[in-house]
Parts: sequence; structure tokens; C-alpha cells
Amino acid sequence: MTILQIAVLAILAIIIGQLPRGRQLAMLAISTFAIFWLQPDEPFVTLLFWLPVATLAISLLCWALTSGPESRSWRQNWPAAALLAAIIVLMDLNRIFKIEQVYTSRTPVLELTLAVLFGLAVLTGVIIRWQSVNPIFQAAGLAAIILIFIILKTPNLLSMVSGYLVNLRGANTADKTIPLTWLGYSYIAFRLLHTIRDKQTGRLPPLTLAEYFNYAIFFPSFTAGPIDRAERFVKELKMPLTLTNDDWLDAGSRLFVGLFKKFVIADLLAFLSLSNILVEQVKSTGWMWIFLYAYAFRIYFDFSGYTDIAIGMGRLMGIRLPENFNAPYLKSNLTQFWNSWHMSLTQWFRAYYFNPITRAMRSAKRPLPVWLIIFVTQISTMVLIGLWHGVTIGFAIWGLWHGLGLFVQNRWSEFIRTRVPAWAQTQSGQKVASAFGIFLTFNFVAVGWLFFNLDSPATAWLAMKKLFGVI
Amino acid sequence: MSDSILIVLEQYISSKILKQPDRKINPEEFLISSGMIDSFSLVDLALFVEDTFNVRIEDAELNAQTFNSLNQLAALIESRLEK
Repeated sequence: MTILQIAVLAILAIIIGQLPRGRQLAMLAISTFAIFWLQPDEPFVTLLFWLPVATLAISLLCWALTSGPESRSWRQNWPAAALLAAIIVLMDLNRIFKIEQVYTSRTPVLELTLAVLFGLAVLTGVIIRWQSVNPIFQAAGLAAIILIFIILKTPNLLSMVSGYLVNLRGANTADKTIPLTWLGYSYIAFRLLHTIRDKQTGRLPPLTLAEYFNYAIFFPSFTAGPIDRAERFVKELKMPLTLTNDDWLDAGSRLFVGLFKKFVIADLLAFLSLSNILVEQVKSTGWMWIFLYAYAFRIYFDFSGYTDIAIGMGRLMGIRLPENFNAPYLKSNLTQFWNSWHMSLTQWFRAYYFNPITRAMRSAKRPLPVWLIIFVTQISTMVLIGLWHGVTIGFAIWGLWHGLGLFVQNRWSEFIRTRVPAWAQTQSGQKVASAFGIFLTFNFVAVGWLFFNLDSPATAWLAMKKLFGVI
Repeated sequence: MSDSILIVLEQYISSKILKQPDRKINPEEFLISSGMIDSFSLVDLALFVEDTFNVRIEDAELNAQTFNSLNQLAALIESRLEK
């Protein structure tokens, strides 16, 4: 998001927060509009329209998959349904209004859009009719969301799809590596997966269409999280809104701090951040470390700044989004680092992957040794978290790096627990141990960023050799 | 009732998780956010609670927001025992 976009959305958030009635529908309207407005330029102009529609369609179908009898009556939901359809049609009609400053005017013909909307309405009806009868619908929903996720995140698969689209449009077929960005999908997909899984296990509260959409596509957290939990979000949404002076102060300071972190600190650090070219050019070990640290702080300030902005904007509308960061670089071990870095994502993986797998392995008739269970679960969780960022070797190695780090730290803690020397139990001893822990953890994380940031493992390896003066 | 739950929980955590049977845990002490109980042991704790009190703690509830101290965990168990 640009500063202008953030400013406009923050003003809209202030207005929504002041509405005496209709907060949910107003939020829904702005969130829906924002999906179209924020969608970055696409090589295929029609995707500027169809990708946002796909985001809305997939959310609609997942609502149908997860809705219960208490929350899906037409009487409850027609205003939200009508609003969604109206905004899609309005965006389409920009081919006539031609307000290019806001949105492309090269949208499809109205008949096509209306036909798609009609098809979606029919499909929604069919799913609502059958989902409670046959659980295969929910399983298919999970599989479809994950499949799309894998395609979008795997560069080779994505360029195949792009190539196919290029051919389909009869455009120049020479360049098949045109990027395709489905804005917000990584975050929306994980929110939708959470609702389907909770529906399967009977823990999802009944959600109306407006509640479900506000949760899934809430504009402050649409592009970069945090990934909230539906029941928590909707509880906030249903509470009567009274903004106190403290709320205003909190919201304002979060927005200000977020903007400063992202657009001043992170953007300045960008000049010093380690890049592929720098790895090739830099000869001095000292500079390599400076560039690496600059990157480590840049990614923190950029991402946590984004989260601050999202949280501040949410507060303006009476929604407390979950925190994503809690001073991660000041933690004295890797476990604590991961308890305070991108927390909403790690909690998602704990809830839907790590905990169920660990529980199953621990309750098995013939359980594996503890160390092996920890090894398997830690590494697989971290590799999956790596792959969430993109299905590439670099992200997989980054996950592996952290998985192995967590495993070694776990075993070390287990070993040292009963063997802590007397000096380390004194107050000053604890301070020294903690300071050493922070230093070690930060550097481990910083070196790990090489695999995350640089474009190939070979470059990362070269950087590592330069960092440690082997080359 | 709550006191006996507290004692059972404290005993389990200090002997099985921390491997320091004599260790006293303050009922208000942070268990999860402090890193005292790691994510693996947390699942073990959930299984123990399930076996001992016949109270289910869901996978999605194993975090510091649901409970972060002995008191909070005991309260959670009690509230579910009543149902």
C-alpha cells in the first residue's frame, strides 16, 4: 500500500468508527472496494477485475461451506449480498464512468459480469443445500484453497498458468514469465482454511455473510495480516462501539509509529540491505555483517510497521486485531523468537498443524521417542512456514534452518535444565546468560535471512562464506 | 476444588515438564509467554489434562491467550467440569 492509500483508508476507517448504525455494512463496502482498488497492475488487464472477483467468490463459497442454519437465511443476509453485487457491478461500470485515477476502465462487459454473479449465486445455493448433508464439500474446499495456494506460490507452476493465460488471450507468447499477483491470497486463504477446519470440528460460531466477509477481507489486514481468528474478530465486531480517548490515542500512535517504521526506517535501511548484487561485489567481512544486519532490521521494521498500521486502522473502527510482533530481536532463545515473530501465522500453524500432529504422535499406541517426535514436528512445521512464503528451495532451507535451530535449542534446554551452573543462577549470571542468548539468537536469525532474501541457495552460501571470512 | 486442581497441575509441570520436582510455581507466573512450557510440552499438558480431568483443550486453544498461568488453566478446567 502507498502512503496515499493508507491515508484514504484511515480516513474511511475514522468515518466508519463514527457511524451510529450500519458499521458492518460500511466496513464490508470499503473492504470490497479496497480489494479492487489495491490490486496491483497485472500483465492481463482483465485480471485487474477478475482476481478481486475471485477473492470475493472464494470467500462467498467458503461462507456457504461453513454457514449454519442460524446464520444463512435470506432475510439476514440479503443486504450484504446486494451490497457485494452492487460494488462488483459498479467497479465493472467504470468502463463507462472512466474514473481511471481510482480503477481501470478496461473492465469486462456488464453481461459477462452479471452472468458470473448469477452463476455464483446458484453455486452458493447448491453448496448451502448440500454441505451439511455431505462433508466431502468441506474437504474439497480445503483441497481447492490449498491447491490454488500452491500454484500461486510455486514460480514454475505460476509461470505455466501465466503462459496459458497469455496463449488464451492470443497475446505475445514469447514472454511466459509474466508475474501474476493475487493480492492478499496468502492471508485470505489461511483465514478461510481456519473457518472450514473449525466448521469441520464443530467449533465455528454461526456467521452471517457480512460477519464472515468482514473477517475474511477486513481492509486493514487484507494485504499483510495479521491473521485473526473468526470467533474473536466477530465478537469484537458485535460489541457496541464507543471509542474512548485512549482508543483514539492508541490508534493514532500505532498508525504514526507504523508509518514511521515502514516509510522512514525500513525505507532508509533498504539502501544498506544485503542484496544479490552486494553479495557479489562486497569483499569486506565487516560490511557484509552491516548489510546483513541492515536487512534483518529492515524486514522487521517494514513488516511490523505494516502490522502497526493495520492494528491502528482496526482500532479506529473498534476492532482490536491481534499483535504480530513482540520485540522478537530481544529474545534470548529461538523458541521465544518464534513466539514473537509473525505470531498470528505461527499460531495458525500451531493450531492446525503442529498441535494435531504432535497430539497424534504422542497418543499413538507405540509412540516414537520424544526427541524424534520433536525433530519431525519442529522441522516439518518450520519448513511449511518457509514454504508459505513461496514454494522455492530458498524458503525451504530457511524453514529447515529454523526447524533445526529450534530442535537443537530444545534438546540443549532439556540437557541444561538440571545442570545450570551456580554462577548462572545468580542475578548477574542470569543477565549475562540472557544477553548472550539474545546475541546468539539474533545472529542465528540474521544469518537465516540469507536464504530468505537472496535469490538462490548458491548466493546465500557465497554470502555465508564471506560473512565468516572463508573467502 | 480449584486448589486441588492447582496442586495436580503444578506437580505435573514441575516434575514431568521441567524435570525439577521440587520447583514451586507461582499460580500467577506466566507459563507460555515466558517460554517455561514449550509448544511440544504444551501438547503433553493438554493430553494430561484430558486424561486426568476428562476436559478437552482444543489444539487451537493451546496458546497464551487461552491460558498463561496455573490459575487461568485451573479456571478453564473448572469451567468445563461444570458443564
